[in-house]
Amino acid sequence: MYSHEGEDIFVIDGHIHMWDASEENVKSKGGEQFIECFYDYHTGFTPEDRQWTYDEYRAYDADRLKDDFFTNGVVDMGIFQPTHLKDFYHEGFNTFDRLGEMADTYPDRFIVNGRFDPRDGEEGMQELERQANVRDMKGVKVYTAEWKGESKGWRLDSDESYEFLEKCVELGVKNIHAHKGPTIRPLNRDAFDVADIDDAASTFPELNFVVEHVGLPRLDDFCWIAAQEPNVYGGLAVAAPLAVHRQEKFGEIMGELLFWLGEDRLLFGSDYALWNPDWLVETFLESELTPAQEAEYGVDFGLETKKKILGENAAELYDIDIEEQKRKLQNDDVSVEYGLESMYSNTVGGAVADD
Amino acid sequence: MSGADSHQRDDRSVSQPVIREALRPVLDPELDESIVDLGYIDEIVIEPTPSADRSAVTVRFTLPTAWCSPAFAWMMASDAHEAVSTLSGVETTEIILQDHMHEDEITTGINTGQPFEAVFPDADGGLEAVRASLDHKARLARQFDAVDALLKAGMTPGQIVSLTPSDITDSSGDRTHIYLQDGSFAVSAPTEPLTEYLEMANEEGCLTGDDEPLFRTPKGEPVSIEIFEQLHRRNRSAKVNVNGQGTVCEALNESRRKALGRSDD
Repeated sequence: MYSHEGEDIFVIDGHIHMWDASEENVKSKGGEQFIECFYDYHTGFTPEDRQWTYDEYRAYDADRLKDDFFTNGVVDMGIFQPTHLKDFYHEGFNTFDRLGEMADTYPDRFIVNGRFDPRDGEEGMQELERQANVRDMKGVKVYTAEWKGESKGWRLDSDESYEFLEKCVELGVKNIHAHKGPTIRPLNRDAFDVADIDDAASTFPELNFVVEHVGLPRLDDFCWIAAQEPNVYGGLAVAAPLAVHRQEKFGEIMGELLFWLGEDRLLFGSDYALWNPDWLVETFLESELTPAQEAEYGVDFGLETKKKILGENAAELYDIDIEEQKRKLQNDDVSVEYGLESMYSNTVGGAVADD
Repeated sequence: MSGADSHQRDDRSVSQPVIREALRPVLDPELDESIVDLGYIDEIVIEPTPSADRSAVTVRFTLPTAWCSPAFAWMMASDAHEAVSTLSGVETTEIILQDHMHEDEITTGINTGQPFEAVFPDADGGLEAVRASLDHKARLARQFDAVDALLKAGMTPGQIVSLTPSDITDSSGDRTHIYLQDGSFAVSAPTEPLTEYLEMANEEGCLTGDDEPLFRTPKGEPVSIEIFEQLHRRNRSAKVNVNGQGTVCEALNESRRKALGRSDD
């Protein structure tokens, strides 16, 4: 748990992966290009001394992930968002079942979301049910721009999608994380479209729609929709690392998001291993709006706001009582292994980042 | 690029700087910025041809990722082809897109004059529709800059929504003089955001005449004073979006060029 300006900050990283893009697992040229592109994102927005080598980056195991999350104790919990990509990788890229092993080993540290694709039809529906039954699943990740056979993508507001969303309601899967951001093969005109969120969100007010990557490159459309739909949230994966070298652009984006959505509907995400939360959380905490941006947007990006974005908002969506969770984490295997017990006692005095 | 330099002396009208300047107006349609300024151009090669005073020009370029939208890539390649091939000293033009998932289709398609739809029959929504939607976004972002400049110049929202294209024609270089209240006084504003806005508004086709309103809602309607402020904020979002995406692409471009060994550009 991070301690900043005398306050404990409970961090739930809302968007993480454990992937395998090893040479053995790469099935097609697309798989190689995909991980290359990820690596460009990584090096483009990571301080030089924290960059991974390409070989490290291709595939990493549970131990590496654990070290990256808990060595300096900055992150308390993480939410896995699966990305199957079976056309690119023999065993999939970042799959529900592999992620599940991690959550089974450290049940109080990791949440694993499921996934669905309405084009999978009945089989997909059964798979969604299976996933929900395997664990107390509260969220799914969906990727509307993904190609499948002849299809170049699907819409969240289609009839087929609504059948799956109805099933989500029935299963208690209430958080729908929609990837609306960088797109793998954006052939279609609407590959970047966020408009489908609008109807889906008004049709299913009992569900929460977390738009990952805040819709970049459609931030403006996203903000406008979110301003009108109270159950639409923004996931900061990809946006947060702009704070590293592009502080001013980061400030503008935060200004927009806070202006249109407010501080209760934004979730921090490192997109690990695109970026490491151990330094990114600290960068995020230290970031500020410029005085000109504060005047322009009239929003507050102080510590209370940051605490919400870094953990409290996700806790709300995933029914986590932070105080109770701290008690659980105080003596779990992770705390014992990394010597974190003391930071979860009642007193302030959490970890400090390593640099 | 040294090989190219040795050839350009043979030609009187075509040179590296001339080609670069010709390419400068070619925009990344998503980022609304020049492909030259964005650093996408890898190499310009100018070679002599049998017709003594004309050259064969080859331009190689790389985008920030291998899967930048094929439609965007096509527009840039196509606009670059047109920009170079219409220069007087150019005999033949070859535009080569490198390291893209559809590099062969796009390079061959552009240089053999095929339409996008023939090369990408699977694409849903034709090229013109994509271009129109990007022009629309660019117009909103540029409208923010233009209106922002006018507000900073001291104009009121009421004065701004009443402007027409013919009100912004009196420019002396960097500044434009806008006459208000039947010409009783003038406001001076920077010219660039105004002309850039006008250019894209014309491109989008949302203006209806020189004496009709200059600024428009997203749907192309005149702007009423009641919605002025909210519209300005929405356009600010469009501007921040373009800036934000530009920042992401810039970083990817740098990383990719380093990885591909082309960081010397």
